[in-house]
Amino acid sequence: MSNNGHTSPKIFSAQDVEIKFNLRGKVLTALRGASLDLYEGETLAIVGESGCGKSVFTKSFIGMLDKNGSITGGKIQYRDEDLTNYKTEKDWLKIRGKKIAMVFQDPMTSLNPVRTIGEQITEVITWHFGTEHEQAKKEAIEILKKVGINDAEYRYKQYPHEFSGGMRQRVVIATAIACRPEILICDEPTTALDVTVQAQILNLIRELQRELKMTVVYITHDLGVVANVADWVAVMYAGQIVEYGTVHEIFNEAVHPYTKALLQSMPQLGIKGHDLYSIKGTPPNLFKEIRGDAFAPRNADAMDIDFEEEPPVFNVTDTHYAKTWLLHPYAEDYRKSLDERDAQIKQEKKAAEPFNYTDAEKLLEVKNLTVKFKLGGKEFRAVDDVSFDIFKGETLSLVGESGSGKTTIGRAIMRIYNKVDGQIIFRDEPITGKLDRQKKKKLHMEMQMIFQDPMASLNERAKVDYIVSEGLYNYHLFDNEKDRLEKVENIMREVGLSSEFASRFPHEFSGGQRQRIGIARSLVMNPDFIVADEPISALDVSIRAQVINLLNKLKRERDLTYLFIAHDLSVVRFISDRIAVINKGRIVELAECEELFAHPLHPYTKALLSAVPYPDPDIERNKKLLVYNKDMHDYSTDKPVWTEITKGHFILANSKELEAYRKEIEKQG
Amino acid sequence: MENNNKTDSSRILNPLKFRAAVFDSMLSEDTGYSNYSYWRSTIRTFFKNKAVLALVVLIAAIIVMSFVYPMVSDVDPNKVSLFITDWNQRPSAEHWFGTDTLGRDIWARAWYGVRNSFLLAFCIALSDVGIGMIVGAIWGYNKKLDPIMIEIYNVITNIPSTVYLVLLAYIMNTSYLTLFISMASRGWIVEARFFRNRILSIRDSEYNVASRCLGTPMRRIATKNIIPHIISLIIMEAALCIPYSIGSEVFLGFVGVGLPVDAITLGNIVNHGRASFTLHPYQMLLPTIILCIITVAFYVIGNKFADASDPRNHV
Repeated sequence: MSNNGHTSPKIFSAQDVEIKFNLRGKVLTALRGASLDLYEGETLAIVGESGCGKSVFTKSFIGMLDKNGSITGGKIQYRDEDLTNYKTEKDWLKIRGKKIAMVFQDPMTSLNPVRTIGEQITEVITWHFGTEHEQAKKEAIEILKKVGINDAEYRYKQYPHEFSGGMRQRVVIATAIACRPEILICDEPTTALDVTVQAQILNLIRELQRELKMTVVYITHDLGVVANVADWVAVMYAGQIVEYGTVHEIFNEAVHPYTKALLQSMPQLGIKGHDLYSIKGTPPNLFKEIRGDAFAPRNADAMDIDFEEEPPVFNVTDTHYAKTWLLHPYAEDYRKSLDERDAQIKQEKKAAEPFNYTDAEKLLEVKNLTVKFKLGGKEFRAVDDVSFDIFKGETLSLVGESGSGKTTIGRAIMRIYNKVDGQIIFRDEPITGKLDRQKKKKLHMEMQMIFQDPMASLNERAKVDYIVSEGLYNYHLFDNEKDRLEKVENIMREVGLSSEFASRFPHEFSGGQRQRIGIARSLVMNPDFIVADEPISALDVSIRAQVINLLNKLKRERDLTYLFIAHDLSVVRFISDRIAVINKGRIVELAECEELFAHPLHPYTKALLSAVPYPDPDIERNKKLLVYNKDMHDYSTDKPVWTEITKGHFILANSKELEAYRKEIEKQG
Repeated sequence: MENNNKTDSSRILNPLKFRAAVFDSMLSEDTGYSNYSYWRSTIRTFFKNKAVLALVVLIAAIIVMSFVYPMVSDVDPNKVSLFITDWNQRPSAEHWFGTDTLGRDIWARAWYGVRNSFLLAFCIALSDVGIGMIVGAIWGYNKKLDPIMIEIYNVITNIPSTVYLVLLAYIMNTSYLTLFISMASRGWIVEARFFRNRILSIRDSEYNVASRCLGTPMRRIATKNIIPHIISLIIMEAALCIPYSIGSEVFLGFVGVGLPVDAITLGNIVNHGRASFTLHPYQMLLPTIILCIITVAFYVIGNKFADASDPRNHV
């Protein structure tokens, strides 16, 4: 086959592209000779950790590199046009938007907030085709309908802030497809969205692709998304494509150690009670020259040759190639031994016993908690009458979409709000309202929080040493300076960081390292209970595994109890003992982890479960999406109550629904 | 995908290299290190613009000169001559910029004037930014204060400043202190509101919430979490305050409620020169040039520093 398994003609080709950036007087080589071909009507996904050059690579296709960057080598060709010759904006406008369009991650930044969305789409059409305004308006409304916006004529006149996140992303897609481009590049199109919305957006892009016969390139770090949408997958590391193949080849027969590592670190594939596979360290600093295989320093199974020579590209099959020395004939024996070892490890692992609730003691009780905020003069309930218990030694996960009030519950427990209604009882003592200094100190020592965004949660202007010992200073928990330094050193080692890092500033660290510094900061108080507010959602897949393992290790060693707040059910399954699902400020279902996955009852839980991406192309493509709509419930006369329907399984439902659920349980046996 | 294996046939590889290497876990951790420093980058970005560098040098020279000159020179700036021939002299070797209507040397008076005006402006900048920052911090941290403070802000800023500057200067005797009080009584509220807005935007960031979870006392939150993040703004505001104060002083002198005539300040010299401008225009030359340089330079420096202190501009 001349086309290496591709059935349609080639329309785009990038060969050995090298891109350099000048940054503060130093040269950063963001792309080190990346090659890629695109064929008509295909879907390609580019995966890799952040900082691997995925975005830079695709931005160079449409001349959108930042000012301090330039293409210093290689060739980019679209049909018969050599794009490397394009110099001016005018040249690029022939291609950008018209032939190759792009959808960015954050829909708010790609729309102009002071113009109606209709104008913005109409402008694209008149700009590129010179269409009359009235005609363009009609077309714009057509396109809005096409991307699934109801009531398009009315919505045409609205501003971006009147749209929800998912709707906004639909509008961005509408502007991107307004010129009927041949290639659509989607840069993390769903990362900023909730899982249920994410699934809908992916479906939309797929339908549009089929209809407009576009080639779609996804840039993502979420392997679940890749499994769902891609025909072909390119894995990128340190500015190079290290493996390329069909989606089945990548997911089932990956050969590059980096691809394998990425796949293994997915929490969906982890076995409870065991450490998740994790990639050590962080992607390389591209200011330095890279010798040999860029992944070698992080690869525990690297060979000597990997540190010395850059591997060439080896073909595995016609459609599958990888850049690793493991495929060299000399390495055959070594490769076999690695495979055997992996298979053996997989067999030996057995899932841990579930948490024993029969004689568990209550650590924290939340009773009828309500948190109200004032928003533009109106009062609104972020958390509405929520009750649950946390037992000593368990991990309770609170799962919900953005705006569901899950973070508010965590912060209410941490006493960050001045006024909450209801009761929070910690170790048989109420902790709401005013407390004296002694009690406050005790609480600060027993309860701590880990934050979501490692970039925002560390004080940029303080050294790590101060950040970690902040709690020690507050209550003077050390005898002398030497004792304090020793404590800092111990805690740094416990979270897997070198104690030399203490004299550096936070910006010198990567996201995962920063998150571990944040964990060290709360652990230094020796707490028993930790509220972890989405500690991994801002991190890359590979780094997630590091942090999850660390949290699990700390739980074992220090006998901690976690309230784990997350939006991703798949991650939560691996670490939690019980899961509470929260929607619009109310907990709708709470059950032990496996019970919830096996017998979800509430329609919202079912919808969430159906939308969770799973890193297996066969499962992903056959899944059926359930949509939750709160009009499903008729709560006008029959009010819902928080009921224990079977032992340990709570649900929010009215009497009629309860009856239906009971029947459902009976049927399942 | 025109890949093939021809590259490795041209090289001789050692089969012994295809074995497991020793894994160094610390080596993998250290790859993310970057040597960015906020202050170093700020200062480099600031001085990258050669015009800024020139202005900083110029301003430094003027300030040094205004302090050194009164120490080394033996010309008395207040020495009035009784001889009509000494009055209104044109620039000459003896009097570089001529003499004024009372025969006083303009060159000497100008440097004394710069020194006095600058000291006054510096004190006003210090009190405006200092008081403004403290009030702004309290205002930003206390939601309950908001309605009261907004009203105070409205009242103070909506009365034209000239009205009560004139009134205050009228009630009290004209002196440096009067001038200081009348100007400092207003500037702080504007600064306070500016800092309140900035503090409000960092108050709820996660690292501050983290400090509250750790029970960090207010004092340490202020000194460790807040001030280091707005220190560049403080410098910028102070730099912008100086030309404004000098300008106000000149203006008050102009309307006749400034300092007593025997005080040597830029305002008084410019005023004096203005009175005889139609006959002897050169008398205004030197003081106005210095005034212009100081005002423009501080504005440019303040604004450029604000740009340089924004991490987004650190390329």
